[in-house]
Amino acid sequence: MLNTFLTRNKTVNTGIGKKKKRIKRFIQQRWLIAMIVPAFLILFIFHYIPIYGIVIAFKNYRAPLGIWGSKWVGFKYFIQFFQNPFHWRVLRNTVLLGLYSFLWGFPAPIILSLLLNEVKHARYKRFVQTISYLPYFISVVIIVGIMKEMLAMDGIINNTIAALGGERIGFFIEPKYFRSLYVISGIWQGLGWGTIIYLAALAGVDVELYESAIIDGANRWHQMWHITLPSIMPTIVVLMILNVRGILGSDTQKILLMYNPSTYETADTIQTYVFREGIEGAQYSYSTAVGLLMSVISFIILYITNKIAQKTSDYSLW
Amino acid sequence: MKKMRKITGGLIFDVFNYVFLFAIIIIMAYPMLHVVAMSLSKPGAITAGEVSWFPRGFNINGYQYLMKDEELLNAYKNTIIYSFLGTFFTLTFTSLAAYPLSLSGFVLKKPFTFYLAITMFFSGGLIPTYLWIKDLKLLNTIWVMVLPGCISAYTVFVFRSFFQSIPGSLRESAYIDGANDVLILFKIILPLSKPLLATFFLFTMVERWNSWFDAMMYLNDKTMHPLQMVLRRLVVLTDPTRSTYAHGDFAAMVKLGHLHPKNTQMAAVVLAMIPILCVYPYIQKHFTKGVMIGAIKG
Repeated sequence: MLNTFLTRNKTVNTGIGKKKKRIKRFIQQRWLIAMIVPAFLILFIFHYIPIYGIVIAFKNYRAPLGIWGSKWVGFKYFIQFFQNPFHWRVLRNTVLLGLYSFLWGFPAPIILSLLLNEVKHARYKRFVQTISYLPYFISVVIIVGIMKEMLAMDGIINNTIAALGGERIGFFIEPKYFRSLYVISGIWQGLGWGTIIYLAALAGVDVELYESAIIDGANRWHQMWHITLPSIMPTIVVLMILNVRGILGSDTQKILLMYNPSTYETADTIQTYVFREGIEGAQYSYSTAVGLLMSVISFIILYITNKIAQKTSDYSLW
Repeated sequence: MKKMRKITGGLIFDVFNYVFLFAIIIIMAYPMLHVVAMSLSKPGAITAGEVSWFPRGFNINGYQYLMKDEELLNAYKNTIIYSFLGTFFTLTFTSLAAYPLSLSGFVLKKPFTFYLAITMFFSGGLIPTYLWIKDLKLLNTIWVMVLPGCISAYTVFVFRSFFQSIPGSLRESAYIDGANDVLILFKIILPLSKPLLATFFLFTMVERWNSWFDAMMYLNDKTMHPLQMVLRRLVVLTDPTRSTYAHGDFAAMVKLGHLHPKNTQMAAVVLAMIPILCVYPYIQKHFTKGVMIGAIKG
């Protein structure tokens, strides 16, 4: 009894002392506090306040009334989205573009880095790397511009098709080509860049492993399969988790540059739909609601993948 | 016997591998070579569809025309301003925010870390951000191109980790000598962080140089548009068979066969890529660090 009283008394005392100390530390660290102010303000103004702006998804936003003054409408706009015949189309496109990009785009750099790892001439390897990294630094606008040029009706690809006796194809007009173009251009841009992280992991593999494997009679395939691949497996797992959460986050900027009304059928995703309805159509509340719905789904996926990652490996995002 | 088998097996593999990688090089380089070739070819060869990866004939009218194009030159200037200013703010504000976080005794360490981390998982999204920036009267200002994206929580955390690797004794001795923390950051910490700053300088510059979306959202005033927006109008939005420039000068050159619209389009692409190609060798030094930045952002 006495004991607990004493200890409690003690903590109270130090509590007051701590508070005083804390104030003193604040004054001492005024320079440090001043240093975080710009970052604090920028994030507050451009990040936190827009988060508050999400409430317009539940309101009938009218610009003159402002966010506060606009009337509450509850889930009206969410219901409106699901009553819209296009909701299925944009959901399907969002998932499919992300899924195809992942299925084709994820293994590609792994294969390339395994092959690069087998190159004997360091110079040739470096040359391949230098060329294949370059597309990563080219802007989306230029990439889409080059695609449109090469795939135009009078472009190099169609000229070749025509020369071989085929019929010219409207690559950017027919919806059935959109997904392939989107995925292939994504791989073209990201392939080389994607190998860097794997090659960095491969640089750490013990050469003795290969030497002893050769003594045991392993050929190149065996070495690749039993030494190289297992040694980058942890990296593969980590990147896979990071990529899975990106499945719903297709490259909106590229789609906006690539698509047109004739390809909306396969190209229009939730984000591009939000952009059109919101910015171009000025349906602010409705598009915010759709965007919010999307964010919620993404967050759930992120949460689930992270939980799985925690259970299966030591890696976790937070 | 075993040794022989290993060599032959390896040889076939090597041949296949080298050929495959050569194909990769061609696939990667061809579109870029094609663009350069198109920009330099004679109009007649372009119309006939003869241009592949090497210029047919030689014709720099496309470049000459663009050099006189006020819109493009102005956009170039705008892009340079936005890129440098944006990168400057990113590096300055990120360093300022990361330094206190790198000190274990900083009073606001926990709350500020939390404040930053929140922004990695939640954002207002496209429309609320747009409306707010509109309310702030920032549309059509240089600030909207420079400030909103200049702080990213992830970058602050990378900077913090780097600063933490600098021995704390350096800071303490400067502190005893009477230097305040701002001085310590700029005189001691940042000079020791040159590799970090160089990496982020290059990658932020390239990112800013290549960006167009914010400009489309927030800038209606065409004289403020950056390079990528002008490129978008030139090579993405237009039908390549139609002349992009309707005015007489250009039409006359096309009519006389001195110039093909594709000459100018592709020349514009080349002009936009040149600065990137110039910094590319320097970027290469920082690839492995850069990939960490890209992996999280992408």
